Amino acid sequence: MRTPFARFTPKTRFAAVTVATVLSLSPLAACGGGSSGSGDAKSLTMWTFKQSHVAALKNAAAQFKKQTGITVTVQAYGPDDAYTTKVQAAAKTHDLPDVLEVHSDGEDFALGATGIARDLAKDVGADWSGLYQKGVQTSGTVTPAHYKESIPSDSKSHGVKEGQRFSVPLTSGTFGIVMGNKKMLAAAGITKPPASYEEFLTDLKATTGKDPKNGGVSLGLKVKATGLTWGLQPLAFGELGKEKYQALWGQDASADFASPDGQKVLGLYSQMQPYWMPGTQTLDIDAADQAFAQGKSAWDIGGTFTLAFLQQNGMNPEDVMAFGFPGPQGGAVPKPALAPLALTGLTVSATSSHPENAEKWMKFLAQPAVASQFAKDATEVPSTELGADAASVMGATLADMTKAFEGSPENTYDPNVNDFRPPGYDQDSMAEILADLTPLKQKSPEATGKALAKLNNNFWATANK
Amino acid sequence: MRRRTYEAVSGYLFVAPAVILFAVMGLYTVGYGFLLSFAQWNGFAPHWDWVGLQNYKDLLWQNPAYAPRLHHAAIHTLYVMIAVPLLTVLVSFPLAVLLNSAKRMQGVLRSVYFVPYVTSGIAVFFAWQYILQPDGAINSVLSSLGMGSLAQPQGWLGNPDTALPTMIVVTVWGSVPVAMLLYLTGLQGIDRSVLEASQLDGAGWWRTNASVVWPLVRPITSIVVLLNLRDSLQGFQTFLVMTNGGPGDHTNVLGLEAYRLAFLKDLAPTLGLASALGWILFAAALVIALINLRVMRSKT
Repeated sequence: MRTPFARFTPKTRFAAVTVATVLSLSPLAACGGGSSGSGDAKSLTMWTFKQSHVAALKNAAAQFKKQTGITVTVQAYGPDDAYTTKVQAAAKTHDLPDVLEVHSDGEDFALGATGIARDLAKDVGADWSGLYQKGVQTSGTVTPAHYKESIPSDSKSHGVKEGQRFSVPLTSGTFGIVMGNKKMLAAAGITKPPASYEEFLTDLKATTGKDPKNGGVSLGLKVKATGLTWGLQPLAFGELGKEKYQALWGQDASADFASPDGQKVLGLYSQMQPYWMPGTQTLDIDAADQAFAQGKSAWDIGGTFTLAFLQQNGMNPEDVMAFGFPGPQGGAVPKPALAPLALTGLTVSATSSHPENAEKWMKFLAQPAVASQFAKDATEVPSTELGADAASVMGATLADMTKAFEGSPENTYDPNVNDFRPPGYDQDSMAEILADLTPLKQKSPEATGKALAKLNNNFWATANK
Repeated sequence: MRRRTYEAVSGYLFVAPAVILFAVMGLYTVGYGFLLSFAQWNGFAPHWDWVGLQNYKDLLWQNPAYAPRLHHAAIHTLYVMIAVPLLTVLVSFPLAVLLNSAKRMQGVLRSVYFVPYVTSGIAVFFAWQYILQPDGAINSVLSSLGMGSLAQPQGWLGNPDTALPTMIVVTVWGSVPVAMLLYLTGLQGIDRSVLEASQLDGAGWWRTNASVVWPLVRPITSIVVLLNLRDSLQGFQTFLVMTNGGPGDHTNVLGLEAYRLAFLKDLAPTLGLASALGWILFAAALVIALINLRVMRSKT
């Protein structure tokens, strides 16, 4: 029997097999990855997850090119989850850029632990770190506390060593900043920021009374931890003070979320229930901020970084009244301050072919003149110390936000301090329970407290094994 | 003899690329994934930490950070697995019968009903999100029809009681076109003489479809149910885009949990857990497929 191949000559068959083999293996070859560290001696690539930083970084890059002849190409990928996935995929295919903007004191350590980020400890001297504000000069450095957090084998930063440095700060600020639409607030008779949580609730009642549809508060609760970290935590700190606040996450049943202290805090937080913007639980952070910019809510909870996004979405920063999440009147810390922390940092990828140029670019961004321009262009608080000019550089609204930073160590809520929580703590799971209290109204404060305490105890039980 | 050997070698060489591709893309990745389910790894560390069956234990009962979430997700997935195939069959079979009996514009109607399938994608799910918002189209239509009491003030995805049923409806909307097309193929393959015989015996439209057509398309129903069970068990894209498992964790499903463990844990070493969950889902899918095969064998 003649096979279908029999009519072809051996040469033709050989050629056909070769072509078929090459074609079928070409996808595998493509999986092999290209060269890494995209920049040559005169060019660098930088990725950011902040769309609002792109124009400001490009302006800085133009100045940098004039000074050094090095071209910096800035590319933005967002939202945050997509950026993280993009970085991971690029690391696998050896296509990382030279410089990455990262979330400070968390993501940078994870990238360092996995070998994606380069250790900068030897390169960042006092002349460089001294350019930054005091509170963030060591941001990106593995401190003893960070090292302790990295010890469990399931830690995200497992493998880092004390003293290593994986980023330098770019922007500073904090979470738990409340923004109000001045025009909508004025229509409800509100002309100044509330002095306490109770006053804030009264103001919320006034704006929702004036405009039941658009007078509420928006918060991107689709990103689960926002309610917990931007709302409940500063409120709990104000009500209980530092020690009792930290005890909520401890192992003492008389002080955890199911205790009277926990109940008090959850009861206070649940009073926000009537004032949420309808559907805010289905919005991510950007969508919630957009809703505020579009006048669908009178209030918005975010961070110092939110103002840039609002401006990008057509809102004039001068139309925004900004203040830190207020403490309860009768609380242990009635006027809590919010500690500034490095929000985003810059890291050099381990595969950069010209790390010295990358570091030159990062140091350039830390110069006061460059940072001032960056602050204006991006409407952000830069990590660089700007001295007395800071308020005029950042504009009135951003300067108002930074007033929330002013406080003593005892009355300052510092979201960067996490060592009182159990190792392996998962804030998203806790936040899901909290969402059932408000805005979902599925659980009472009592049931919520019990569920939070149970989960927190489970984290401790696992950690103590 | 030499010629036969040459032809045999040629044949092997022709199939070699496909075999190599399958070995690398199929067997290697499956084997790699299986081994990974017994390890702790973040995708980048130079070596894996072997943990034996710990990932499976952590997911199923032992670790409080993962097990309760998985149990919730499993319950939600079960609801989806029951509702989606059932509703898909309930909608697509009558639709196919009606379409099959259409005398005019059958091609146009078939294309119209197939639109959800060809347009199902991220953009469409975003569009659904807008439609389901508090000020979205569904609430507006309900209010304008005087049925405002049925409108959802928090949006259809914002109310924990309506979020999962809404996601089921959206999933069914996306799965009906293929099911309908399969039924249509089955209906067009039925011998007309069988239908004429039943009509001669006095069966009306309803009786013919219920007692003659429905049993004849039962193999199609099995396929539709199996495909939708598999999609309900493993699919998560719609949930990722539209709810991210929320509000709270009221629409979290197993596929989404696996994705979250693999890619949304900020480089935590949870790839092994994601892989273990993938294998648990595979085992569940295998059991369902076997049950389906058994049912089909006994009915046909």
